[in-house]
Order: sequence, then C-alpha cells, then structure tokens
Amino acid sequence: MTEQFDYDDLGLVAGLEIHQQLDTATKLFCACPTELREPEESTRRLTRYLHPTRSELGELDEAALEESRVEREFEYLAYDSTCLVEEDDEPPHRVDDEAMTVALEIAQLLDMEPVDQVHPMRKLVIDGSNTSGFQRTMLVAGDGEIETDEGPVGVEDLMLEEESAQRVEETDSGVRYSLDRLGIPLVEIGTDPDIRSPEQAREAAERIGMLLRSTGKVKRGLGTIRQDVNVSIAEGARVELKGVQSLDDIDDIVRNEVRRQVELLEIAAELDEREAAVGEPRDVTDVFEDTDSGVIQSALTSGGVVRAVRLKGFDGLVGREIQPDRRLGTEFSDHAKRHGAGGIFHTDELPAYGVTEAEVEALREAVDAREARSASDSASGDEPRAGDAVAIVADDPETAELAIEAVAERAETALEGVPEETRDANEDATSRYLRPLPGAARMYPETDVPPVEPDASEVETPELLTEKVDRYQAEFDLDAGLAEQVAYGEDMPLFERVVEAGVDPTLAADTVESTLTALRRDAVPVENLTDEHIEDALLLVENGGVPNEGLEDLLTALAENPSLSAEEAVEQEDLGGVAEDEVREAVVEVVERNAEQVEEEGMGAFSGLMGECMGALRGKADGDLVSDVLREEIQKRA
Amino acid sequence: MQPGDRVHVDRGEQSYDGVLLPSSTDDHLVIKLDSGYNVGIDREAADVDVREEDVYDIEGAQAEESESEITFDEDLPTISLISTGGTIASTVDYRTGAVTAQFDAEDVLRAVPELAGLANYRGRVVANILSENMTPDVWQDLAEAIHEEIQAGADGVVVMHGTDTMQFSASAMAFMLETPVPVVFTGSQRSADRPSSDNVMNAVCAVEAAKSDAAEVMICMHADGSDETCALHRGTRARKNHTSRRDAFETVGAEPLGEVVYEDREVSFRQDYRERGEADLALAVDLETEVELVKFTPGTDPAVLEAYDDKAGIVLEGTGLGHVNTDWIEYVDDLISDGTHVVMTSQCLEGRVCDRVYDTGRDLLEAGVIEGEDMLPGTAKVKLMWALANAEDVAETIGTELAGEIQDRSVPWT
Repeated sequence: MTEQFDYDDLGLVAGLEIHQQLDTATKLFCACPTELREPEESTRRLTRYLHPTRSELGELDEAALEESRVEREFEYLAYDSTCLVEEDDEPPHRVDDEAMTVALEIAQLLDMEPVDQVHPMRKLVIDGSNTSGFQRTMLVAGDGEIETDEGPVGVEDLMLEEESAQRVEETDSGVRYSLDRLGIPLVEIGTDPDIRSPEQAREAAERIGMLLRSTGKVKRGLGTIRQDVNVSIAEGARVELKGVQSLDDIDDIVRNEVRRQVELLEIAAELDEREAAVGEPRDVTDVFEDTDSGVIQSALTSGGVVRAVRLKGFDGLVGREIQPDRRLGTEFSDHAKRHGAGGIFHTDELPAYGVTEAEVEALREAVDAREARSASDSASGDEPRAGDAVAIVADDPETAELAIEAVAERAETALEGVPEETRDANEDATSRYLRPLPGAARMYPETDVPPVEPDASEVETPELLTEKVDRYQAEFDLDAGLAEQVAYGEDMPLFERVVEAGVDPTLAADTVESTLTALRRDAVPVENLTDEHIEDALLLVENGGVPNEGLEDLLTALAENPSLSAEEAVEQEDLGGVAEDEVREAVVEVVERNAEQVEEEGMGAFSGLMGECMGALRGKADGDLVSDVLREEIQKRA
Repeated sequence: MQPGDRVHVDRGEQSYDGVLLPSSTDDHLVIKLDSGYNVGIDREAADVDVREEDVYDIEGAQAEESESEITFDEDLPTISLISTGGTIASTVDYRTGAVTAQFDAEDVLRAVPELAGLANYRGRVVANILSENMTPDVWQDLAEAIHEEIQAGADGVVVMHGTDTMQFSASAMAFMLETPVPVVFTGSQRSADRPSSDNVMNAVCAVEAAKSDAAEVMICMHADGSDETCALHRGTRARKNHTSRRDAFETVGAEPLGEVVYEDREVSFRQDYRERGEADLALAVDLETEVELVKFTPGTDPAVLEAYDDKAGIVLEGTGLGHVNTDWIEYVDDLISDGTHVVMTSQCLEGRVCDRVYDTGRDLLEAGVIEGEDMLPGTAKVKLMWALANAEDVAETIGTELAGEIQDRSVPWT
C-alpha cells in the first residue's frame, strides 16, 4: 500500500484490548490444572444445546441473537484433567486466589486502582465456546496508564475472566470443542481510546505485553495472548478487530482498517451522488438454467436456486478495492458466508467463473439493472448516468434467501458509510466481517460465586523485563543482546532460578538460549526436559560433577529418558568428570609418548598435545583442568 | 437514592457511572456500569450523586412485554402444566443475589418456546417454593390440583418441581392418586436463566412423556451429561443421587422405566407399566404427618427415639440388611408397644431388607418392626404417612406393592 494518511486529520482513534492467559496452578473456578491436551487424549464426550436467555435488564444482545439464529449442537471433549465444573455440571468454586493475586499484580504494573469489591459476572456467549452459555468475567481494576513515545495511553479496565473452550472442528451438526482450555484464568486489559497512530498502537501493545510478562505468571506461546484493536476515524465508525495474533501486525492492521474506512466513506459519497439504492432480492434461477458455471450448476443440480439483488448505481464500486486484495464485494460476500453461503458473484467481476456475457445480460434484464451510460453514449440526448450492479447467491433455497438478504443489508449500510461491527483479523493484516458489535446488555451477575474484596496490600511489584535486561548486564556481565534474549525469553524464570541456585549466569544464559535451541535443531526432544532436569544438570556442571563439555550429552540423555534424574543420567551415560589424578595420569602418558616433541618445542607443543589429551580423556574431563595440568607437565620437562 | 437510579459515584480519585442495583449491602453499593460489569463500592468512602431517578425498572425488567401465543389445536392432546417452583422456573433475585423461583406455568411456556406445538396447555400454580420448603400439605394441594386437571380433561400432567425433594412429592402423588393419565415430574439442575439450562430439554421430554401411554407417576430428567436423552424414572423408585449433575436422578434397583430421545421426541419403555385409561381416577389425600425418618449410624444416641415417642410412625434407615445397634432394640420395643409403627429400610439403598439373618434383625422383628422390603427410605416414609391415614392393616400395606415402590423380585440389572 502506497497511500500515506494523515492520521490526525482523519481523526484516528484507537484502543486496545489485550487478552493474556495466566500461568496459575489451577483454573479460575475449579482445582483442575491449566494444562492443554490433545483431542485424542479425551476420555469423555458430551453433547449440548444452548438456548438464549434474557439478560439481567431484560434485553437480548444483538450479537448473541445473531449467533443463536442457527440452532446448533455442540460437542465437548473432556479429559482426566477436567472436571464437572468445565462440563457445567457443578457450580463454579470460589475465585482462584492465585489468579486474583496475579491480576492485582498486573493492575499495579499498569498503575491501576482495584475496585473495592469484585463482582463476578456472566457475559452471554452462545457460540458454544462456554458450556454454560456465558463467560465468567469480573472487573478488577480501572483507571491506569502506560507511557508511549507519543504520550500516555489510559488503561480503562482490567478484567479477570475464564478462557473459553478451544474449538476443535466443525462437525456435521455443529461444533466440537475441547474443555482443557475452558476456565484457564485470563486477564483482559482495555485501554482508553487514546491511541492516535498505528505506530502508537503497536508500541502500547508491546509495552503492555512486556509488563504482563514481567510478572513471570503469564502463559507463553501460540494463542496464549490475543490482541483486539478498536479503530475508528472521525467520519467512520467503531470497528472491533479481533484476534490479532502477532504484535508485529498491529500497526499494519490499524493502517488497513483506516484505509478501509476512508474507502467506504468515499464509496458512500459516490453512491450518494449517484442516488444509489438497493432493490428487493429476486429469484433469477431461470437465467442460469443452462449455465456452464460450475459453482452455480452444482447448486442448481442439488435443488438450489439463484437469488439476485439489484444494486442501483453501484456499478464499478462493488469491485473497488478497500483493503489489499479485498473489495466492497468481498464485504458483501463475508455477510453471505455468515449465513452459510459459499460466497457471491457480482456484475463488476462478471463475466467470469463460467458465467457468460449473455447470462450477465439476461441477469441485468431480470432485475432491471441498467448499464452505465457515458457522456459519449449520451450524444443521442440521454443524460449520462452510473450503471447498476447485481449481486447473486446460488445455494439451497433457504441459505440463498438468507444470504442475499444479508448482502442487501450490507449494501444498504454502504450507502451510509462505515458500519459498526466486529471483524476478524486475517493473517495478512486485513480483516473480515465477524458479527455485530456486542452490546453491554449481555452481562448479568454470576450468583454462584460470591463477590471478592481484593487485597492489594500484599501484592509485590515485580521487576520489569526492561529492568532485568539492565541488571543482567550490570550484575551478570551478559552482553546486551543475550541479556534481552534471556529476559524476554520463555525460560527467564528458569534462568533466574538456576542463577539463584549458584549456576554461573553466562553458563545459564548460554544453556537456555543456545544449547537448548541447538539440541532442538538436532531433533533432541528437549520438550521432555523439566525445569528440575535443567537446574540439576547445570548444578552438576557448576559443582564439577560433570565437565562443561558433558552438558549437551547429559541434557540429551535426560530428554530421551525423562524419567531419569540428572545424577542417574550421568551414571548411566558415564558422563562423570574425571578427578585430577586421573587427568594427570592421562596427561603424563601423552607427554611422555611425545617426549621428543616436548623437548624440541616446549610450550609450542601445547595446542597439539591438548587435543590428544582431551581425546584420551574422551571429553569427560574439564578442559580448563586438562589445560592446567598439561601446562605444568610441559614446564617440568622443557 | 433507590435501586434503578442512574448514579455518579466518586470514591477517592476514582469515579463510576452506572445504575444502582438492589444487591447493594450495608457495606457496599453495587453499581452496574455502562460496560455491563457490576462493581461493589465501599459505601462509606463513596460520594453518590443521583443523576436520574428510576432509569431501570429492575423488577419489571424480568417480566416480558409479549404474551405467549397459546392457540388451541384440536389434533393435539391437552397437557396440564403445574408449577410448584424450583430451578426450572427460577430467575435471579436481586435482593439476595441468589436464584429463586418467580415464574408461573405460563411463564415457563414463554421461557421454553420449544414447548409450543407439542400440545395444548393448561397451566396452574400450586406453589411457588423451592423444593426444600415442600411440606405434606402442599403434596395434598398438588394431588387435588392434578385430580382437578385430569377431571377437566387433561390428557397428561407435567409437574414442575424443584429437584431436591422431587422424589418425595412424586412418591406422595403415586400413593394418593389413581391416575388414568401420565403424571410427569420434571425440573432442572441448572437454573433457567442460563443458556445451558437443562430446563428446555427436560420440559420438552416431560411433555412427550405426559402424552405417552404410561399412566404412571414418573420423574423425567437427563439420563446422562449430554442433551440427548431423558430417563423416565418411576416416582417411587427414583432418587437424587448427585448434588449438581444434570443426570442426578437414578432409578434405584432397576433400569429406568423408559426414556425420551430429545432430538426425535421418541418415548420408549423398558418395563411394564399401567396403561393409559387402565385405572379410574381416584384420590386419597389423607396423610398422617407424625412420621419421622431416622438414620442410624455408629454412635447415634438412642435418645433420638425417645424424642419421637409420640410419633405415629418411624422409618428407620438401618445398616446392611436392616440393623441398628443392639442397644436400640429395647427403645424400638418400647415405641412399638406404645403404638408407634416402625418400618425398617436400609441405608444401602440397593437391595432388600431381611431381618431374619442375624440376631439383631430377629430381635427387631420380635419387637414388631415391619420390614420395608426393597423400598427406598424416603419412599417408605411417604408410604407410611399414607398408610397410617388410609390403610386398615398398616403392616400388610407397607409390605404390599401399591405403586411400583416394591419390587417382588430382585433381578440383577447391572
């Protein structure tokens, strides 16, 4: 994209919503571990339906209603690591203390004030991702602030909530979910709409991410943090972009959304000028009776129909690009897909896909859609005018009707400009329509869980990752790059633990950042290594029980045989260090064997003989020790 | 400042805008923020400013504006929905913050739109109580109401009831009523105010069971953890065996009488049942309420029996084959000599009482204890209440099957 926008002029307003899983021992409302499982490991299956209910204030949420229009059956996979609470067959236990403590710690890092009394709420979610039909969530703190280069960004609220169940796959009758993830504590952090540029959005997200990780109590890895971005421009509308997986994409996604809103506003202005309008959908199956289009043909042979809507004055605009490789027509198509259709065709892209020129003409005729008339055409005296577009959906009768209605509705909103909505972030930093914006009415009290009065007085302030980077350099003499790598890395808590236990910081840093990576690359199953394995192995090296050179072999042995303790592995693999007298014996033997060379070259023979000594000791002796002994023995003789 | 007012609250450097909720306590104001979240704010530290009075009608927000559309279809049977309260018809109470029953039968019909088109409905409310508050006189009201509904032409009756004591009420109906139509109790284990409530499926399956051919008093609840099948339990042999699971109810000592498959609404039976129209409608509501159920466990003081010496009947829930500590026997003997009827059941729940095997049992029989066969202790209590008020020979009536509460043959089924 080459366009440069002046975000101030456009009135860009953005806010972030960051969801981060916590790494607590147990789930938020039961004593199950916060451990993810493979679907094959499931031990039970259940099927359930959800029925929408009135919320506390008697209103039904629009987003929830749309979700519920299709009655669906949900299947849940349960495990030996889940219980009746996840199955919605036991009331939730009290709020997990550890999770509340971590939430308060995060509140403190974000400079927030905890509320006096936290009230667990039920947020209506009826897509099946929560067995109860709602997500339990509670407002813990408000009114915080973080710094960015472009000024402070307010942090509006911090919620502690339960993670939803993981969607495994679509089934014939609905969706299959896995209960392992349901109930893992999650914090949701919402900023004020203080963000004014794509870069600031990214910086704010990075800052919050750093603060979260500084607690050492957040989960790491794919899917454990999700970012939503709310974006609007002055003339546009608030759009919630959900599920941005990578921090690196946040600025691009904001840029692309601004462009989309700018384009949609321009389209609306153009449509207004053209006095555009949206017609009533009609059946145009007749037009395509003998079509060669594979998509339409297959819909018709299985009893389907083709429905069309005339889009008066839309000619040329449906095909207009509003995000990289996404057109207004793509938006229409997204709405059609939400109602079960495979997509749409529209006249801006036809003839194509097997639809002929003649069929397009017949289609236009069937819905009274006029061609554009340019100024040169109008020499005959007719006024020039913009043409009409036509969108069609081919599917079973019910789906086609719902889908074309959805397309017509979306086309209506194109006349107005930008619709408020929730969109799903795509991998290429564009986005697609997901559902209407959720309303506030979807919340009612979780009466099964009593309110909690948070006690922030005992909460510790953790050292920030930025502070750790500085300290690792100053205190441990790590270089800046390695210090940052360790501090921001997943193994930071392990690093600190082993250093605390007495392991040399450089050895510890090299091990967690390079050795393990190298072993993984060599297909060693390092994921089997526990923190205890690594700590014990490093301590053995530190205390001389195992030479430096033996560490990789030791870790490999432990990874391949995780049931062994580090000491057992040393024994089994014969990795134990060699005592000084044994080293001296081997060195003396080498020196005597090469007596001539030693006499001639003196210390010059050192490097050659060092290799021979190490070979004789088969790498089991500490290099420094061998080198010291060898130097002594050469000196004796030289 | 009243619940429902829109308020602005200053508390230290924080401020909150929202609607004041009735769940506020002396210590905390509870505010519903515009985001939908509720928060509690220290009342003493809060400075409240009412911005607008009565923004929300909190009580009225529960009620629906639209009437349910109840149309009469001649081709459909008529089912009477009787509400006694309980989770199936419950909603959030803002005063206590807990879930309580507030709906009548028509509300249930509105709350469970899936019931539409399955039958023509008559609705009535007999009580609006949680089932732990159920009393024998409500059983009597309920039996009379069911009797009236059947007289008025109901082809089946569905009783919506809290699950805690459902088995007792169902047993009471089974003894009090001779019914020519199905009487089906149902309830829910997850409150009706949540999308995952089991009330929809239980109610739909109960209506289907009430349309069936089995003129029995049944309990219709989930057969397992899935929303697939409801089990039909004979009321006198059912027991709530789990505090929270959807499939808490089980038939003790046998497979359930039948089941209803939710998806295709198919009702099927595994065992013989009394067919529709077989019995003539009759009612015998009298109950002797001076009856207690006493559980013996090691160390229980026999003084509990002395405290009950003026009771008309006692059901003992003994150990094993039907035993109590030998020291109890003289107390039991005294009770019986003074005219109290004592029935022995077992806390094993599964299996038949037999007091002829060990000395303790023989001594109890000697003292005049009536063996409760394989009756559930709770069912035996209800039966003893009924027998004392209606039977000429209490001991013989207790030992005779009246409503499926006794199985003459102990047939292994698991």
